[in-house]
Amino acid sequence: MNLYHVALHEIGRRKTRTAYTASGVVISVALLVASIIVAVAGQKDIVLIINRYGHSLTIFPATSSETTLKGFGIGSGQYIPESALPAIREVYDSAIKSGWEARGGWVMEPGAPSGVALLQPATFAPRLYEETTISDRHAVVAGVDPEAEYKSRFWWEVETGKLVSRPDEVMAGSVFGKITGVNVGDRVEINGHPLKLVGVLRETDSPDDYMLFGILSAVQELFGKQGLISMINVRAMCNYCPIGDAEVALNKTVVGVRATSQRELALAQHEIFRNVTNVILGFVALSFLIACMAMFNMVMGTIHGRLREIGLFKVLGASRGQLMRLFIYEALMMGLLGGVAGYLLGYGMASRIAPWLIAGTDVEFSWWHPVLAILAAITCSILATLYPAFFASRMRAAEAFRAL
Amino acid sequence: MIECKAVSKTYQIGDTVTEAVRNICFKAQVGEFVVILGHSGSGKSTLLSMIGGLTRPSGGQVAVAGEDIWQWSDNKRAKFRNQTIGFVFQFASLIPTLTVLDNIALPSLFGEGMTRAARLRARDLAGIVGLSDKIDSYPSEISGGQQRRVAISRAFLNDPRIVLADEPTGDLDEATEAQVMDVFTGMCRQHKTTILMVTHNRDLIKSADRTLVMKDGAIL
Repeated sequence: MNLYHVALHEIGRRKTRTAYTASGVVISVALLVASIIVAVAGQKDIVLIINRYGHSLTIFPATSSETTLKGFGIGSGQYIPESALPAIREVYDSAIKSGWEARGGWVMEPGAPSGVALLQPATFAPRLYEETTISDRHAVVAGVDPEAEYKSRFWWEVETGKLVSRPDEVMAGSVFGKITGVNVGDRVEINGHPLKLVGVLRETDSPDDYMLFGILSAVQELFGKQGLISMINVRAMCNYCPIGDAEVALNKTVVGVRATSQRELALAQHEIFRNVTNVILGFVALSFLIACMAMFNMVMGTIHGRLREIGLFKVLGASRGQLMRLFIYEALMMGLLGGVAGYLLGYGMASRIAPWLIAGTDVEFSWWHPVLAILAAITCSILATLYPAFFASRMRAAEAFRAL
Repeated sequence: MIECKAVSKTYQIGDTVTEAVRNICFKAQVGEFVVILGHSGSGKSTLLSMIGGLTRPSGGQVAVAGEDIWQWSDNKRAKFRNQTIGFVFQFASLIPTLTVLDNIALPSLFGEGMTRAARLRARDLAGIVGLSDKIDSYPSEISGGQQRRVAISRAFLNDPRIVLADEPTGDLDEATEAQVMDVFTGMCRQHKTTILMVTHNRDLIKSADRTLVMKDGAIL
C-alpha cells in the first residue's frame, strides 16, 4: 500500500461527495469535448465544400436585377454570348498566370504543399437554363457541354442509367426524377420534341437535383437560344490557384459579366464558423473557471471535515509533502474520473448536436479528444486542489492533535 | 531518555493569558512506565503534546536522547514522530477504509514505505494483541476494545523508543481496560519502551513504575 492507495480508498469511501465535487468538471469537459467534436465536424464539412466548389468561379451575365430562377439563384433572364468565351478564357488565364508570378510561383496558403504549382488549363463549363413544363410540372432544363461539365462537376454520380452524351438524350437530377416519376428509357417531351431519358443522377444537395440536363446545342435549338448561355462555371484545375485574382480581373475587364468566386464565400463561411467556435470555447473556458472555483470550495470544505484524518497522519509522522501528495493524488483520480465521464457525455452530446447543426455530418472518434478531456479535467482538479492541499499540509500539528 | 527542563505553555485569547503548563521538570528513563495523573484541564495532554513534538512550548526545553526537539525543523520532527514515538489516543482513531492490518502498518507509509517487512511486523503485532483473525476486517467490523488494541499495535509498529498515551482507556469497561494495560506493560517490558501515559484513572497507577500528579499545569 502507498499514498496512492490511501487516496483511492478515500475516493471510494466518499463516492457521492466525489461525484458531486467532480460534477462541475464533468460538465465543463463535456462542453469542451462536444464543442471540439462539433467544430471539427463543421470544419471538415466546410473544407469539403471548399474542395468541391472552392476552386471555381461562376460567371453570370451582369444585371442590376438579381432575379433568381425559382429560388435556385441560377439565372436572370439575360444571356452571355457563347462567342465571348475565348475572351473570358484569355482574361482568366492571364490573371491566374500573373497571380502565380506575383507570388513567386510559390503556394502561399497555409497547409498547401510547397513548390511550384502546376498550371493546368481551367475547365470552362457553359450552361443554358430554360424553363418549361414537363408532365404538367414546371421544370428547369439545363443545356450543358458534357465533357466540360463532367470535369467541372467531378462529384456527379449516376444513380441509374448513364451520363447524357447525345443531342437526343436528357438526364435528370435525383429530385426531378422522383417528383416527375420519369424513368430511364422514358421519352421526355420538351417543347414538342421527344428526348430519351438516359440517366438519373445521385443526390448532390445542390440545385442540380431539380433539373433536367441536355446537350447545350440541343437545348439552345429547342428554345431558340442559339449561341447564348446563361452562365459559365470555371473550374481551376489546380488546388491553390489564385482564383480571387481571376475574379477581380474578369469583373474589371469583361463588360457584361459578373464573376463570383465560391472559394471566397466558403472561406468567409469558414472564418465565421471558426470565430463562433472560438467564442464557444471561450464560454467553455469560463465554465472551467467556475468548475475550478466550485471544486476548490468543496475540497476546502472536505478538508475541514477531515481534520481528524489529517491530524492522525500528522501525528503518525506524515510530512507536508506527503500530505500534499495525498490530496493531489485524490485530485488526479477525480480528474481522471471526471475526464472519462465528461468525454463520454460530451461525445454523446456531439453525436446529437452535430447532425442537427450540420446536415449529414457524423461525429468521428479521435484519440486526442479523450486525452484532451482527461488532461483538462486533471489540470482543473489539481489547480482547484493545490491551495487546499497546501492548507492541509500547513495545518499545525497541535491543531491536528486536538482533533484526535 | 526524555527530559523536560522548565517546560511551560501559555495561551493568550484576547487579553486573557492562560498558563496550561507551568515550569515542568522531569526525566523518564529508557523502559520506564510513567503515569501522569491529573484531572481534566490540569495540562497533562498539553505536556504530552509538547513531548511528542506537536505543540511548541512557550518556555523551557524538551530533550529526547539529549537533543532539544524544538530546535529541529518541521520535517525532522515529523520523522521523529514517525520513527521514535508511538501515539495512542483516547479514541482509536483508525482509518475506516483500511483493514486492521493496513491500519497497524499505517505509520510505515510515512516512513520507509509500507514494505513487506512492515506488513509482517504489523501481522506479528496483531498476533500479540490477539487480533490475528481480524487482520482483514475493517474497523467498523470489530469491537471498541479491539479497535483500541489495533491503535496500540499501530503505536508500536516502528518499534518506537517512546510511547505517549493520552487517556488510552478513557471509555473502556474494566475487562477491556485490563487487556489494554496488559498490552502496554507487556510491550514496555519486552521492548524496553519508555511509556508516558496520561490518565485521570487512579487504578492505572499500579501498572506504572512511577506516577506524576499534575494540577493546574504543574507537577505536584
